[in-house]
Amino acid sequence: MSIVKRRFFAGFTGSQTKWLNSMAEKGYRLVKTGKIEYVFDECEPGKYVYVVEYVGDKSFEEEEKYKAFLEDLGYQVFYKNVNLAYSTNKLTFRPWADKAGKLSTLKTTFNKELLIVEKENDGKPFRLHTEKQDQIDYYNRMSRPWYFAVFMALLLAIIYWPSVLPTAVCGGLAVILALPVIIMTLKARKIKKEKELEE
Amino acid sequence: MKDNVKSGALTEVTFFILLSLYEPKHGYAIMQFIDEKTNGRLVLGAGSLYGAINTLTEKGWIEPYGDSDGRKKEYVITEKGRQIAEKELQRLRDLTETAACIMQK
Repeated sequence: MSIVKRRFFAGFTGSQTKWLNSMAEKGYRLVKTGKIEYVFDECEPGKYVYVVEYVGDKSFEEEEKYKAFLEDLGYQVFYKNVNLAYSTNKLTFRPWADKAGKLSTLKTTFNKELLIVEKENDGKPFRLHTEKQDQIDYYNRMSRPWYFAVFMALLLAIIYWPSVLPTAVCGGLAVILALPVIIMTLKARKIKKEKELEE
Repeated sequence: MKDNVKSGALTEVTFFILLSLYEPKHGYAIMQFIDEKTNGRLVLGAGSLYGAINTLTEKGWIEPYGDSDGRKKEYVITEKGRQIAEKELQRLRDLTETAACIMQK
């Protein structure tokens, strides 16, 4: 029997991973994703494990290639949106993305910023990035859209200057948006230090 | 994945991927090979493997093998890759020799 759950995790890939895994432990396997809908079928509890990965910086071609590679390994892969914005635009500009990924369209990468990857539980932790350099690169890529958001908020604060309230609001927003950047930078730095000793 | 160019040292994962491809293999078989040969000590995630395969292909150390239409894509080590692996083996031999010399005194 299928059940539908509605959740929205935005860019919090860790929380989304945790939630999907807790559903799997209860005996629900993901079969379909919508914007905020997750459709599950009943399965043997703990049979599957999940991990969510950010791929919003990749071009459509690169995203599809990566997805095909994961599917070749025997994993099940779903696309997931990171935002709730409704777009009728033909084009969305992503200055932080790689090459062709800079232009996102409904037909290509828009609303496909995340991959939900499922594999059969073999008792080992399910991680996609096990190499330290790879983990550092991943944090750097993930923090790029946030850099852009901070920059936009600061730009607005400057535009509104010297009117106090809007400047303060935009400045405050910039500080809040900077938090994920700081967290991810610290994480990347910690791994970098470990890496220097080990390799 | 960055390998130390100056000293010529490969990361353990790079070396294992090269070793695994002395016989053509697809991605899953590479992961299995590493798991088996290290008794599960070294874990290679799919994302890291994907990055490594791309980097090693760009460097010309490995290459796609055969016609993979409709089948899982396979890779094999190249002549250049073999030379790199042999150099790494020599480097490790020198290292263990030095270590043994010092530590067994």
